[in-house]
Amino acid sequence: MLVTNRVGVFRKMLVGLCAAVFSAVVAHAAPLKEGTDYTTLKNPIPNAKNTVIEVYSYACPFCFKYSKIIPQIAKSLPSGAVFKPYHLEQKGDYGKVASEVFAVLIVRDQTKGVDILSEQAGFRKAEETYFNEYHKKNNRWGGGKNPDSFLQTGLSAAGITKAEFEAGLKDPKVQALLKEWEASYDIATIQGVPAFVVNGKYLIYTKSITSLDDLQNKIKTLLAQ
Amino acid sequence: MLKSLWSAFKAQPLYTIYEWQRQRFLWLLMVVVCLFLVAVAHYLFQDYGYMKPCEQCVYIRYAFVVMAIGGIIAACNPKNVALRSIGYLFAFYGAIRGIMYSYKLDIIHKAAHSDDIFGVQGCSAVPSFDFGLPLHEWLPDWFNPTGDCGFDAPTVPDDVTLSGFRKAFVEFYQNGWYLMPSHEFGNMAQCCLIAFGVCAIILAFMLISNIKANKSVQ
Repeated sequence: MLVTNRVGVFRKMLVGLCAAVFSAVVAHAAPLKEGTDYTTLKNPIPNAKNTVIEVYSYACPFCFKYSKIIPQIAKSLPSGAVFKPYHLEQKGDYGKVASEVFAVLIVRDQTKGVDILSEQAGFRKAEETYFNEYHKKNNRWGGGKNPDSFLQTGLSAAGITKAEFEAGLKDPKVQALLKEWEASYDIATIQGVPAFVVNGKYLIYTKSITSLDDLQNKIKTLLAQ
Repeated sequence: MLKSLWSAFKAQPLYTIYEWQRQRFLWLLMVVVCLFLVAVAHYLFQDYGYMKPCEQCVYIRYAFVVMAIGGIIAACNPKNVALRSIGYLFAFYGAIRGIMYSYKLDIIHKAAHSDDIFGVQGCSAVPSFDFGLPLHEWLPDWFNPTGDCGFDAPTVPDDVTLSGFRKAFVEFYQNGWYLMPSHEFGNMAQCCLIAFGVCAIILAFMLISNIKANKSVQ
């Protein structure tokens, strides 16, 4: 009994070691293939060198699932590279309202010098609340008939008033951000959301992502490309 | 009637199928089954049960409709080789596309209901039907995906209060559509996969009988 157990443990260690060596080799050796791992955008996003853009929607189940690993992805980026969320306004009953709330909160966070993905960021609080309400509690805010209640959910999560939101919306920086996000739609129609775009031109095929490590490696490789 | 059909089938299965596919009823049966399934999905589950269709779900509807069109064309005159061939083309195309969509939906469904999210692409922001057909613009009630990828649980609007059978119906499927909801057994994708698979097998037998019969004539 003891002997077989030892053999079992030894075998497991050996298999584990082989797997580790193999994955280390593969991770560094295998170059990314255009067409299977990623595609190059015909209309690249301008001024997006050294960025990782995630096109997503609050009303997309897989975006909700990916949202849990976004902070890890952002943290592991090489220095100089930034993570940028692009909210898609065309999806969900309140896509446009959500985009406006997120844009206002991102600009507010950045003005205050708060990392938008940190726990205390208004953006992150609002986003998490929308995700949880929609995907866990099945809240649909009247299915398009009650934009005010949808708006209120996000604003109270972030702790700002409607007046502050409306004032924020007039900020040219917020308007510029919303304008920038208009690129989301064309990207979202290629393979759907969530969609990761590196350097504004390499769209990673979400289907090809096998793990968090794999996604981080793909991002790293494409950033250097 | 049924008894004589069955005894003919038992005596000479392939030849009997050959004769059948030269008659209307088998083609019309396929038309009725396909359109019935689409109608049930739309009227019963989508409208009555508030279960909105996802992207792959509207593609599955499209695949059933393609098969039905094939059936209608063949049924115009099943003895006509040209019409029958077009019927086969549509029917096989619909069945194979249907198998592909159902298989993909099953993978999405599994990923959506687990913590392992990798290796799948969820849903697109806009549907893209074969040949760029804008079905979602022509018939949005039927072909515009309004549901979430991999989820088909009912979403009842806030201002609607259900009672009686409809309430029970919605509660029965509260965790999404399953053949046996209490055991979460047989999701929509798996059941559609079986439906398309059975159609494809029957169609294959029909076609084989047709080819064999033609060969023996020569």
